[in-house]
Amino acid sequence: MVFDVFFLQQVINGLSIGCVYALMAIGFTLIFGVLNVVNFAHGEVYTIGAFVGLMVITALAPPLLAVVPLVLAVGAASGVGLERIAFRPFRRFTDEASQKSRAMREATLLSSLAVSIVTREIMMHIFGGDMQGIPSGYLLQQPVAIGPIMVASGSLVIFATSAVMLGALQFLLYRTQTGLGIRAVSNNQLGARYVGINTDRTIVTTFAVGSMLGATAGILVGLYDGAISPHMGFAPGVKAFVAMVMGGLSSIPGAVACALLLGVSESIATEFLSSGWKDLITYSLLVITLVFFPQGLFGHGRERA
Amino acid sequence: MDVNVPDARLMPDTLAPPAAFSGRGRRFAWTLLLLAVAFGAVPAAIVGTGSSYLAQIAITTMIFVILSASLNHVTGTAGLLSIGHAAFYGIGAYAAALLSTRLGLPFVVTLPAAGLIAALFGFLVALPTMRLVSIYFAVATLGIGEMIYVVLLNWVDVTRGPMGIRGIPPISLFGWQADTLLSRYLAVAVIAVACVWVLHRLTHSYYGNALRALREDDQCADSMGINVERLKIESFVVATFFAGIAGALLAHTSAYIAPDNFRFMESILILAMVVVGGLGSLPGAVVGALFMIVLPEALRDIGDYRMIAVGATMFLSILLLPKGMLAEGTALGFVRRSFSRGWATIAGGTPVGWK
Repeated sequence: MVFDVFFLQQVINGLSIGCVYALMAIGFTLIFGVLNVVNFAHGEVYTIGAFVGLMVITALAPPLLAVVPLVLAVGAASGVGLERIAFRPFRRFTDEASQKSRAMREATLLSSLAVSIVTREIMMHIFGGDMQGIPSGYLLQQPVAIGPIMVASGSLVIFATSAVMLGALQFLLYRTQTGLGIRAVSNNQLGARYVGINTDRTIVTTFAVGSMLGATAGILVGLYDGAISPHMGFAPGVKAFVAMVMGGLSSIPGAVACALLLGVSESIATEFLSSGWKDLITYSLLVITLVFFPQGLFGHGRERA
Repeated sequence: MDVNVPDARLMPDTLAPPAAFSGRGRRFAWTLLLLAVAFGAVPAAIVGTGSSYLAQIAITTMIFVILSASLNHVTGTAGLLSIGHAAFYGIGAYAAALLSTRLGLPFVVTLPAAGLIAALFGFLVALPTMRLVSIYFAVATLGIGEMIYVVLLNWVDVTRGPMGIRGIPPISLFGWQADTLLSRYLAVAVIAVACVWVLHRLTHSYYGNALRALREDDQCADSMGINVERLKIESFVVATFFAGIAGALLAHTSAYIAPDNFRFMESILILAMVVVGGLGSLPGAVVGALFMIVLPEALRDIGDYRMIAVGATMFLSILLLPKGMLAEGTALGFVRRSFSRGWATIAGGTPVGWK
């Protein structure tokens, strides 16, 4: 019976990690769906979210609920800025051939990589390469007892925030005009342009929404773990990327499901293996998925590129 | 346009210019110049200044020349975006280090063995992943690269984990030991030149044309009777073989390796070299490696800003020089050069093969 309780606890921890991956994976998926390119700078948006949250907390000491809108705003701003710097210059050619060409896509991928390197190094320069502690008053580590299991309050906050944000995203995508535009552009950019959708504005909106989710994930993890560093974005960024690919690149429910799967399997794996090996689980899942389901688990046979 | 009038750009040169100014002569002169720099100027500078720092940069540059040339073979020529190349470099380095420290094997054995072991892993990786297209393949290589890194870091019994492996013997050849800076540099430079030459011969051949066909449109190449899957696997194996060689050179010249030498950022650095130099162009890969190694060292005075400079350089070069510093010629140009004999004019003055 002891094992069962312990096991359940690990599953809950894993689900909360998975929620963080999911928030990031959605950003990846939205941007991939709309632009058909991978945004490698997404991990840096996450780091920016965490650092801005810390700065606000140390400077103003506001109540916790006031931090979230600020982080959302900064996330949106960094998304818009990222789009302007790393993606807009490579959308000069809007005809169908260029949009499908491999060279254009690789150029954009590498430019986002370059921007992520520069951003990370600048942050290292400003904040130093070491871990920074979060003031203890804001930490979300109080244990909360739910029946026989103890859950950190951070896990609950992460669940709640993720649920709210996913709900809001579903509302945005399926109940508003903007969401219709995003779905149209993601389906066929040229077609959307022909029916009068402002594709540039839609892409900027998508970046803003995706980066808001990423930045929120950053500050949540910062408050949960208690320490942040300029390098913190790399690991969740790669995991979210993996979740997106496993989910089938353009399917948001698929990305969320796979992110939760990754989180749970990692946290269960730490029980059987030492923690250094847990990354191996993620990458093995990725490779196994790709080998047996080359389109991802929830992919629907996108047009071959 | 009248169909019967061939495009002037496609016409073979009916009046061949004097040999010294033709493409072949110019290429020969360039090759001589590069060899003179590699085997004359750089060793002279190393001896003259006696600076171990300078020698170390020269050796690192030569190792990265091999790496970027080999990545160019798979990413530039065959069109498979691989973002886990550093892992195979790591496999080569660890293979050479373990074979020489644990089993005491000489350099003549460890160098090819490192290449072959890396190539074997490349083959095992390529076999299942070659069905994947574009971004899926890139992600698979990323995942496999990280897997290899995690294994190097955590398999402490064999790789000594984060402590790394020390005391790897220097390059030696039948009793001769490369223990001075100059001899170490020369040994690495000879091997690097040989590797680049092999890759050059491979890329500028009918085989290379088949790889380019694969890159441009693999479905079309398939329908033309090219064995796409096999070519992809072969190009990946060749690239990982040379990455393994580069790893062995690193192990034997620096005497110490640790898993952090082979992380994701290293893969990105190699990819940046290929992109800055020009995807698909072998001289571009060499120049890109020189540029991306020498630039941060030249910027050492401004210290911590050099990684920012590397990122900015990468960004600006993609933005301003989308085809890289030494762009690859058009695919048509390659075909024309390769088949130029077939296109030469016959006695009547009409060009053959293009109408």
